[in-house]
Amino acid sequence: MNTPVHAGLAAACLAVPAILVSIGIGDAKAQLAANEASASAQPQVAVAAAADEGYCSADLKKVLRRVLQSCGLLSSGEVRGCQPLEAKNVATLAGDDFNKLFLPLKERAGIIQFDKESPDLDAGDLALLDRTFADQRGASYFFVVSRSSPEGSEVYNRNLSQQRGEGVLHHLQDTFKDQDLNKEVGILWLGEEFAQLDAEFCSWQRSGDPGACQSQDLNRSAFVAWIDCRL
Amino acid sequence: MRPFTIVFLVAAASGMFFSGFSTWDFVTHLDRDVHDVHCSFIPGVLESDSSASSGCHVTLMSPYSSVFRAAIWGGIPIALGGLAVFSFLLFRGLDLALNRREDDKRATTFLLLATLLPVLTSLGMGYLSMVQLGAACKLCIGIYISSVVAFGAAFGIRAQGVGEDMDGFGREFGLSFAEGVGFVLVPALLYAALAPDYSKYVGTCGTLLKPEDTNQVLLPIGQQVSGKTTIEVFDPLCPACKGFEGRLAASGMAGELKRSALMFPLDNTCNWMVSNTLHPGACMVSEAVLCADAKADNVIVWAFEHQDELRAAAAKNPDAAKDLVTGAFPELKACIGSPAVKSRLNKSLRFAVANQLPVLTPQLYVENTKLCDADTDLGLDYALSRLLSNGATKETP
Repeated sequence: MNTPVHAGLAAACLAVPAILVSIGIGDAKAQLAANEASASAQPQVAVAAAADEGYCSADLKKVLRRVLQSCGLLSSGEVRGCQPLEAKNVATLAGDDFNKLFLPLKERAGIIQFDKESPDLDAGDLALLDRTFADQRGASYFFVVSRSSPEGSEVYNRNLSQQRGEGVLHHLQDTFKDQDLNKEVGILWLGEEFAQLDAEFCSWQRSGDPGACQSQDLNRSAFVAWIDCRL
Repeated sequence: MRPFTIVFLVAAASGMFFSGFSTWDFVTHLDRDVHDVHCSFIPGVLESDSSASSGCHVTLMSPYSSVFRAAIWGGIPIALGGLAVFSFLLFRGLDLALNRREDDKRATTFLLLATLLPVLTSLGMGYLSMVQLGAACKLCIGIYISSVVAFGAAFGIRAQGVGEDMDGFGREFGLSFAEGVGFVLVPALLYAALAPDYSKYVGTCGTLLKPEDTNQVLLPIGQQVSGKTTIEVFDPLCPACKGFEGRLAASGMAGELKRSALMFPLDNTCNWMVSNTLHPGACMVSEAVLCADAKADNVIVWAFEHQDELRAAAAKNPDAAKDLVTGAFPELKACIGSPAVKSRLNKSLRFAVANQLPVLTPQLYVENTKLCDADTDLGLDYALSRLLSNGATKETP
């Protein structure tokens, strides 16, 4: 055996993996350094955040913030609820304009219709309420806007709409055991005094008889909807 | 030079060619970035593969692609061993030809025995690739074929040799074996010596801001041993999550973790944070996992096994995933799609919002400290072992 040839061949063949490793790791080190240097210029991965849909206009956010602050949610972190006069004042809107704020929520909202003079939720009401609440998606706030039809005194209807709103809240608390619920649900009870719903809302998701949609049916109700806005 | 010798040299060079490209693909990932890989029988000529789901990518990212992973970031690639062995075979073949030893029974017998190493390794790796990973890698197949051809040619060289003298074979074998060991050790030690120091990255990729699970959205998975608490951000139809699970199991460190999963389906039917659904059906399957609760592992394992089928079916018909899941787990039928489980899945997503998690899967948090995304594949064993041993959060370098 010719030893110099043997050794030369061994060195030449061994050089192949050695050179490949040296060059490859050297390149990777250089790239690693370049990546570190340009870390801030590299595209960042999106970060999880609540939804902020296109309908969340500045005006809508202003009203939402006012309502949420004045009705307890943002200031105390707990559900307190707003009475009709408070709601009217903080919204600084006429009833129709207030209702128009919610028009973009047609696919998200439900109108829980109660029986006359009753704050009780029946099976159909509960099914719609559960379905609507479970479909939170990225929304941050759940609005419950309860009303009464104009039969009876103003005070009676104010109290009745409050019971309806609170009935909705209690059901949600009992059913979903959500620790964040008190930071998410905003209640306004409007009695018969402010922002009564008109026939435009007949085509929305409602509990109760789908064939009947008189004004009093629509307003013996709790309007419930997730609001996909970040404040 | 005899025809069998020429065939042998071509097979050895071919083995070097394929294993060299495979080694190169592995080494380029040492910059902790994502890269295309060569996945062709004529690498370097055809375009690189960027799909991340090709057989070459699956095998490259698998726990079987390297050794000593806990000691060196990514480990030392098996392909480098292959390159070293084929370099050695080329050397032995050239030595046989140029030193006129084709009739030396001792040299040709050693050559035949030496070719058994790549053949046996190819059998083992081929089995792992096809049975364990369910993937076929073209570069690997090139190596397997080169190994078999080299073995056949070595057999032919030995059979055609006229010499019968086997005196001193033991010494010849010992010296040649030592040469072979040197051929493998030198590049491996060089690799270990040159590899960058990655320890400075461990524990620098953030922490959970609000780890308290007030809504009980974290689902215990795996054996609930008394190890370090970990949270896996998880999509049951995400191929990377499936790969991650395999690597975690292979690392042997899963047993040191008290694991829980946070469902984070990359499917916009429930997850508003993704504009386009990456994994159709993932919301439905995530609901099934939450419904299974204590038996969630069973649903996860099943979902991993049927990922392609579930995604394809859900892409055509959104309800198809539910049919497939309830076909396998009929007891979950009433729960899947119910308001309660939809709300729980939503709360999982809101846990991600509260903690400002990146919108990607998989993610792993050990005692609330994030395992860097760049360490979830090749660097898993290296980074996780260090995170488990110290767990300290460091400043970003």
